Amino acid sequence: MVGVPRLKPELYEEGEEGAIWLSGGACECGHVFFPWQTFGCEVCGRHGADLHPRRLSGSGSIVASATVHLHAGKGRQAPFDVCVVKLDDGPVIRTLLASVGDPPQPGRAVRAVLVEVDGREPGERVRDMRFEVAA
Amino acid sequence: MRALGDLRPVYAIGVGWHPYRYATEEPYVTLGLTAVRQALADAGVEWPAVDAAFIGTALLGMASGRPMLRHLGATGLQLVHIENASASGSAAFRAACLEVASGMAETAVALGIDKVIPRPRTGSGLGGLAEDAFVAFTHFALLTNQYAARNGVSPEDVALVAVKNHGNGAKNPNAQRQKARTLDEVLGGKRISGTLTSLQCCPVGEGASAVILASEDAIRRLGVDTGRAIRVTASAVGSETVGAGNDADASLTRDVIARALAQAQIKGADLDVLEVHDAFTIEELLYAEAAGLCGEGQAIHLLKDGAFDIGGQCAVSPSGGLIAMGHPIGPTGVGQVAEVVTQLRGEAGARQHKGAKVGLAHMVGLGSVCYAHVLKRD
Repeated sequence: MVGVPRLKPELYEEGEEGAIWLSGGACECGHVFFPWQTFGCEVCGRHGADLHPRRLSGSGSIVASATVHLHAGKGRQAPFDVCVVKLDDGPVIRTLLASVGDPPQPGRAVRAVLVEVDGREPGERVRDMRFEVAA
Repeated sequence: MRALGDLRPVYAIGVGWHPYRYATEEPYVTLGLTAVRQALADAGVEWPAVDAAFIGTALLGMASGRPMLRHLGATGLQLVHIENASASGSAAFRAACLEVASGMAETAVALGIDKVIPRPRTGSGLGGLAEDAFVAFTHFALLTNQYAARNGVSPEDVALVAVKNHGNGAKNPNAQRQKARTLDEVLGGKRISGTLTSLQCCPVGEGASAVILASEDAIRRLGVDTGRAIRVTASAVGSETVGAGNDADASLTRDVIARALAQAQIKGADLDVLEVHDAFTIEELLYAEAAGLCGEGQAIHLLKDGAFDIGGQCAVSPSGGLIAMGHPIGPTGVGQVAEVVTQLRGEAGARQHKGAKVGLAHMVGLGSVCYAHVLKRD
């Protein structure tokens, strides 16, 4: 799977031993956020150079999860599982789970992984970030 | 910061609707005119007596008001269009209240109106991991899972909200869904997201609603029936703060309703009628608790005991709520206020909550933003 491009390389990267890092940021005031941006800090309003890129651990715990049976948008086929995860580094994010059906329940430890999926172009394969139950 | 109660009194004197329904080819103009004409007739005033119009619409696009309202007579009144997602109508109502309460106008109409016109949001420029996967019903499916895990509530429990609200909608001629449903019907419907089924999700259709507001001077001058004028005693508003997490709608609601109740000098337990943003079943439980009707995790017990029924401790969503009355976006917040007015006048017919004296209308809008208005019978 190595060599398959990442779908959203600006949002996550692969570290040593397969660990996935999320591309977040931190403000001079201490607020940690995801995704990385320089528009301004949600807590204090500092912006630009007062915001610094920070790699966030892909480890966290489930806040909520659900299996989507019917999806209203284009480009994504139901069923699929979604989750809200509180990262160990602070931010609460929401994204997809790697598996479908019987999603991990609130409190369960999860970790980010890259899985191979269809890309935006016909026949294209890419790797995208998902969460799975931590070993 | 000043509150509505610090300004001169403002009263709702007329209400009207075009019934909410599934999308049709009928132009929005006739929907809006129907609601405003009904509100004028209800108030017993003529259109030239209205000083300002605040139009809550999320989907009609630029400058939809004059092509509609000119057919009531192009009087030259102030005309303002307000968009605030699901709370567009609530925002229009607040603006109309403040215009009259501040003395800038003697009368105003809040008109909520929309058709089913899909409009994509402009991106913020920030990427997301899989934001396209999180449409509204999936967001609330996640909140259902979170609430159920925290409070030991089953999907069957949550579905009881829909049973109650479909029952209320069956008594409301303006509701988009007017059919009572059993728990089996609700649970056996199409599975949407998580444990939510189709009858636990609001229909988004078309419609219109209108509320006419007036000062005491205008009520006297226009000869309005004071016995049917309902005072707006509080208006509170807010938006999401940092760190609110996944259930920002509930924490924001708790803050905004607390401020509205404080303005009105009442407690949640004093409410006779509560219209909440129950676009999805879980929301009614979250917001009933946030309104102070009961402690966290207790709403399901009160619901099962009938405390939220018409005739119970507090009638919650007697109109049928968004689940049965429908959620045509712009009209929803104004229509909630119109329902509260109708209840406080004792004119709600088969869905009347007897002895209703004070009611609250609550909406959240994507963002999140939140509105709460308290109305009281003098």
